[in-house]
Amino acid sequence: MSDAVTSKIRAPGRIARLRRTLGSIRLPLHDPLAVIGLCIYLFFILMAVFAPLIAPHDPNEILFTSEFALAADLTPGTDGYILGTTTLGRDIFSQIVWGARSALLIGLTAAFVVALIGSIVGIVAGYFGGWADTVLMRLADVAFGIPFLPFVIVLAAFLEPSIWNVVIAMALVLWRDTGRVIRSQTLTLRNRAYVEAARVAGSSDLKIILRHIAPNVLPLSFLYGSIAIGWAILTEASISFLGFGDPDSISWGYMLQDAFASQALSKGSYYWFVPPGFLIILIVSAGFFISRGYEQILFPKLDR
Amino acid sequence: MTQPLLTLKDLSIAYRVGDQDTIAVEGASFDVQPGSIVGLVGESGCGKTTLARSLTRVLAGNARIAGGEAIFDGRDIMALSERAMNGLRWREIAFIPQSAMNSLDPVYTVGTQLAEVLIRRGGLGRSAARTRAEELFEWVGIETNRLGDYPHQFSGGMRQRVAIALALALDPKLIIADEPVTALDVIVQRQILDQLRELKERLGISVILVTHDISVVAYVCDRVVVMYAGRVVETGPMAATLTAPAHPYTMGLRNAFPDLASAAGELTPIEGAPPDLASPPPGCRFAPRCPFAEARCRTDVPGLDIYDGDHLAACHRIAEAETLRARAVASETWEAPA
Amino acid sequence: MKAITVIGARLLQTAFVLLAVITILFFMFRLMPGSPLAAYIDPNFTPEQQAELMARFGLDQPLWRQYLIYLGNLLQGDLGESFFYRQPVAERVLALLPNTLILTFSSLIIAYVFGVLAGAYLAWKRGSVVEQICVPLVLTTRAMPEFWLGMLLLAVFSFGMGWFPAGGTRPPGAEYDSLWALYSSADFWWHMTLPVMTLAIYSQGLPLLLMRSNMMDVMREDFVTMARIKGLSTFSVVIRHAARNALLPVMTSFAIAVGYQIQGNVVVETVFSWPGLGRELVRAVSTADYPLAQGAFLMIAVVVILMNLVADLLYAALDPRVTHE
Ligand SMILES: Nc1ncnc2c1ncn2[C@@H]1O[C@H](COP(=O)(O)OP(=O)(O)OP(=O)(O)O)[C@@H](O)[C@H]1O
Ligand code: SF4
Ligand SMILES: [Mg+2]
Repeated sequence: MSDAVTSKIRAPGRIARLRRTLGSIRLPLHDPLAVIGLCIYLFFILMAVFAPLIAPHDPNEILFTSEFALAADLTPGTDGYILGTTTLGRDIFSQIVWGARSALLIGLTAAFVVALIGSIVGIVAGYFGGWADTVLMRLADVAFGIPFLPFVIVLAAFLEPSIWNVVIAMALVLWRDTGRVIRSQTLTLRNRAYVEAARVAGSSDLKIILRHIAPNVLPLSFLYGSIAIGWAILTEASISFLGFGDPDSISWGYMLQDAFASQALSKGSYYWFVPPGFLIILIVSAGFFISRGYEQILFPKLDR
Repeated sequence: MTQPLLTLKDLSIAYRVGDQDTIAVEGASFDVQPGSIVGLVGESGCGKTTLARSLTRVLAGNARIAGGEAIFDGRDIMALSERAMNGLRWREIAFIPQSAMNSLDPVYTVGTQLAEVLIRRGGLGRSAARTRAEELFEWVGIETNRLGDYPHQFSGGMRQRVAIALALALDPKLIIADEPVTALDVIVQRQILDQLRELKERLGISVILVTHDISVVAYVCDRVVVMYAGRVVETGPMAATLTAPAHPYTMGLRNAFPDLASAAGELTPIEGAPPDLASPPPGCRFAPRCPFAEARCRTDVPGLDIYDGDHLAACHRIAEAETLRARAVASETWEAPA
Repeated sequence: MKAITVIGARLLQTAFVLLAVITILFFMFRLMPGSPLAAYIDPNFTPEQQAELMARFGLDQPLWRQYLIYLGNLLQGDLGESFFYRQPVAERVLALLPNTLILTFSSLIIAYVFGVLAGAYLAWKRGSVVEQICVPLVLTTRAMPEFWLGMLLLAVFSFGMGWFPAGGTRPPGAEYDSLWALYSSADFWWHMTLPVMTLAIYSQGLPLLLMRSNMMDVMREDFVTMARIKGLSTFSVVIRHAARNALLPVMTSFAIAVGYQIQGNVVVETVFSWPGLGRELVRAVSTADYPLAQGAFLMIAVVVILMNLVADLLYAALDPRVTHE
């Protein structure tokens, strides 16, 4: 094919491409709900970063009253403990603040890992097709057959207790949804004129993938990543609640387990178990709101 | 002349997009006589579907009847209560859509869908509905044992016949057919058109046939209504309008069809594109593309005037139609719009 | 003819996935820290018992032999002996399965009936204030940790108001002649109310949002417009045509939801001390009762895999476009 022909259907130039790539990952600021979600995230990020400054106590510190008795089960406001204390005399508010750190840490890394693995699998399967596609998609079928939460439990029991177990489990199993979607997106991209042209012009596969495919699937990766944040946080909470979490790191799920095991329910200590759950809902639904914003960028519908 | 079955007077339909109105049909007027086929032609986007659908008063959510009336059998469709209008739907005015595939519900058999209108709208009992459904299928030439099939099991032409059978179910007076043959190949097109003609001749049903294909009009229509950018620009008896058009747009349109433009011997499409309906040009809307446009064409809106008997056109130079026609035959005329 | 090959291929795929998951399970428990024998042998077993299990699972043989023996035993329904109960795992797991299934299905049926109706209603009301409030609210219920919702309901309705029991399936000391007698007793349903509500509140979001978006898509279809042009009643247009079509994918999602729910049950069963597979899995893992843990995991995985299959078949069965070639 002559140069004239290839240059006519050539992909947009470097700058245009960069702009498009950046544009494709722009924040969904047109959607009020998504903006609320972003604000919630900002709030939690600030809380996590400045946790040592905000929290009045070490979350693990066992506190005593001025009479040197254990500061156990104090109701909110007593002795200046904003949200009261746990049965073991720890400051609930400080635990809440520090909990934002583990939530964000797990949520963001898990989302990153899931989106990354899913995208790589999807692109490789979709772009190369053939046996690579067959193998990867059968693997995805298997991943769909693995009950996720039970899998995390078993994994967490065998590995050292750590907050990373959830991330590992998600990396092993939850790439499946992202992988399938990115694969079909890659399939349509592969047949676009400029990709054909690049191939005819002798570009290497890696170059084509990096230049033409990856930038176009990036928004989808983001969409699935933003959903995965919520999954990771919820999963971590469940695992900690079941007692397979990392006892050394304070997370909201761990707090709920502590409350449950300490009979907070029968004591009616709402101040103990309501706030962690509330914050989990807040951060996870923020992720949902943002992902809906992305969805609207990606799949615009007229009256929605 | 007999009393018309349907008389449109100055009908206007607007779509609201954002906070702006787009007038998709503006001041449309024409008659439909009982037992006749009226062809409604024009380029894509000129408002044919909007006009056709307005006669059922089932329009898009953002559409609004902006004025005018449509007298059907002595009643103004546009002014009827929703309840009274619902009484008219399908019993008196039926509809054949462009794509029967999308307009048949995929999860019910065609027999069920026929029975639905026969029973729920026609008040027939189950067995009477069954008999009638078979009768209808025989009429449109489909074996009655296919009543139990689902829409996706039919070919495109067959589905269009199913749509006709559905339209006929309650013996309507008027059938509106929105591009019923556009998606079909030529042979099937003929069969379907023959069937429409038979409807008219045997059952005395009137048909408004929406199309952008002049040869379809020439094949079955008694009268033609030509629309351009939301307005009716010419209306008249089929033969007179196609052989001796009085509006430059119709003259140009005719050049674009081989079997009608035989005199010119070659195809000459009209240069340019129709105007944006959100901000149409003042005066004659065809002026930007019209080779015969004059100064007044760009400022004054031409009204529908009598050209010859019941052959009307909306052109300032209607009196010179014969001369313009002669010039319009030459393809050079259309190459550089004035 | 074609349909049969499609179904055949799908069955083959299911068998493959099942085998793969079983294999993963085998290696996961073999490669865990500690002695490879730990998967089947409790140090507290008597020497005779230990020897019997060694032979039964070929624990002194190379790994690949062990794998084949494991598969063979599995085919005969032999999953080993529970350390804790001193009882065959298969027996124990099968006894718990009904408790889990009854919880899952009752909550999902409630969730789907509610979700479908509410979803259709919200689609009908699109653009309204009701919709703008409800949709974020529903998203929020999806963001709830299920066990937390359970804790909240327990604290309020059980400990607070005393309306419902705090856990289990029956009052202390109550005995029933048969499973059927238990399931048909009012006590059982009374005990089940809170866990079912928890699961139902959490699950309704999926059918609701799915129904709503399908409904909004279907309402734009030509055949719905045609139904209106035919002068059919609003009921016919919305229910017979729009909802009937929008419902198809929702129904298939039911099977998928069963698969998801049965995993999520792990936490809710724990909160409500519900004697089901999920709570048993948690208990088995934390008490290092490995054969039981394997068995419970396998049972849950089987339900998940079967439900994925059912979803596909259901889709084919419900959609005439697929059923009628
Ligand atoms: N729901 C709507 N909202 C806004 N504008 C619309 C809507 N439906 C149609 N229009 C506009 O109204 C004009 C007339 O559309 P209509 O569908 O009636 O044209 P048509 O003559 O039937 O075209 P075609 O030959 O393509 O079917 C077009 O410009 C179209 O873009
Ligand atoms: S009014 Fe003028 S511009 Fe319009 S069609 Fe007639 S001649 Fe052309
Ligand atoms: Mg149209």
